[in-house]
Amino acid sequence: MPHPGWAAVSFEGIGTAWEISTPGPLDTGQRRRLLDVVEDYDAAWSRFRTDSLVAQAAREAGRYQMPDGAGALGRLYRSLYRLSAGAMTPLIGGSLEQLGYDADYSLRSRGTPLPAPPWDDVLDWQDTVLTTTAPVVLDVGAAGKGQLADLLAAELRSQGVSEHFIDASGDLLNSGPAPVAVGLEHPYDPGRAIGTISLGAGALCASAANRRAWGDGLHHVLDGTTGTPVRTVIATWALAGTAMTADALATALFFVSGKALEQDFEFSWLTVFSDGSAAYSAGFEGVLFE
Amino acid sequence: MSFPVRKSVFVGLAGMSLIGTVAGCAPSAQAPAAQSTAASTSGAPIASTGASTSAASGYKDGTYSADGNYVSPNGTETVGVELTLSGGTVSDVNITQHPSNPNTRKFQGEFAGGIKAQIVGKKLDELNVSKVAGSSLTSGGFNQAVEKIKSEAQ
Repeated sequence: MPHPGWAAVSFEGIGTAWEISTPGPLDTGQRRRLLDVVEDYDAAWSRFRTDSLVAQAAREAGRYQMPDGAGALGRLYRSLYRLSAGAMTPLIGGSLEQLGYDADYSLRSRGTPLPAPPWDDVLDWQDTVLTTTAPVVLDVGAAGKGQLADLLAAELRSQGVSEHFIDASGDLLNSGPAPVAVGLEHPYDPGRAIGTISLGAGALCASAANRRAWGDGLHHVLDGTTGTPVRTVIATWALAGTAMTADALATALFFVSGKALEQDFEFSWLTVFSDGSAAYSAGFEGVLFE
Repeated sequence: MSFPVRKSVFVGLAGMSLIGTVAGCAPSAQAPAAQSTAASTSGAPIASTGASTSAASGYKDGTYSADGNYVSPNGTETVGVELTLSGGTVSDVNITQHPSNPNTRKFQGEFAGGIKAQIVGKKLDELNVSKVAGSSLTSGGFNQAVEKIKSEAQ
């Protein structure tokens, strides 16, 4: 609970656990409308269900009308695709499946890593309309959880619940104004933190290579140019105005230095490397334990 | 630009994936307990895995370490991992920095903002925080699948 006396509602959505905290309890109708937002997002973007729009796009090329918000998601992905020279791409789904992170969670590699197809070869993403020239496995996992947090926050605001705190399994969105003390989870030990930070209004999202990890040195953060897992960076945190942006940038930090990303995005960042060292921007000054 | 330094460390998650962590240091972990063998494997990750070839059991308490070498655009890099096993779980993980890779240090020194040589962990229950930012709480089918593989590997 972010603040004493607040109420919380917990649920599963898009494959992860959510907890939404508010100063007072939400009624049944309010909770149902929040779950509807989750369901709508899942129905569009999940590659783990056969009836989603993404699943249709994986079966056949075509023109797909995605929900509101797809435009912002596409522009963010396109920007990070450019900055990472193709490494960070929404077309990574096929590469993930190849390594076993598929709809059946087989977690069995199917063979050699498979690079993602070049964006412009197969996908034209114009605002909310996706036009594909081949079956493609879209995976918006790098920003989708954050975007859903933003959409839930918007729903809460529309219900008049201006103060709220959304915890999407460690990706956090605080409406403010009251700050919340947050521990930064140790990349090798979830029972420990490597620092603490006071989160004001905004989002703090994390990405770690040793989560969602399975065998043979495989984890879920893949380089789109090779289809193989990234190995230099072990954990990242990004602090930004929206959870979608923070979520995407936490992943982008696996491919692009925080300094380079700062030229296009207003955000704070912390990157921990596989040798245990860390680099961070001014927003994370004094956060790490000595 | 992608990072010029590619490290091959994959330690796994202490407390959860004993298979991954122990098998990750298999070259020395299979040696008798409390040795500090440096097993170098050129170009290979220290962590290979284990899910299908090693059972979680059978490893004695002690401290295990292994070094890995790999070739990056900066030249050959070395990184060390030390694991402490007690009661069948990983109780401590240390990543060893080797002073022999000045290029890595130089590269990391080019980042904006601060640099910290080594992160330090503190127990969450000793901290005054109400939330944790991280990604270990991921739930659903993924974790179930990992548990299944662990049980199959035994």
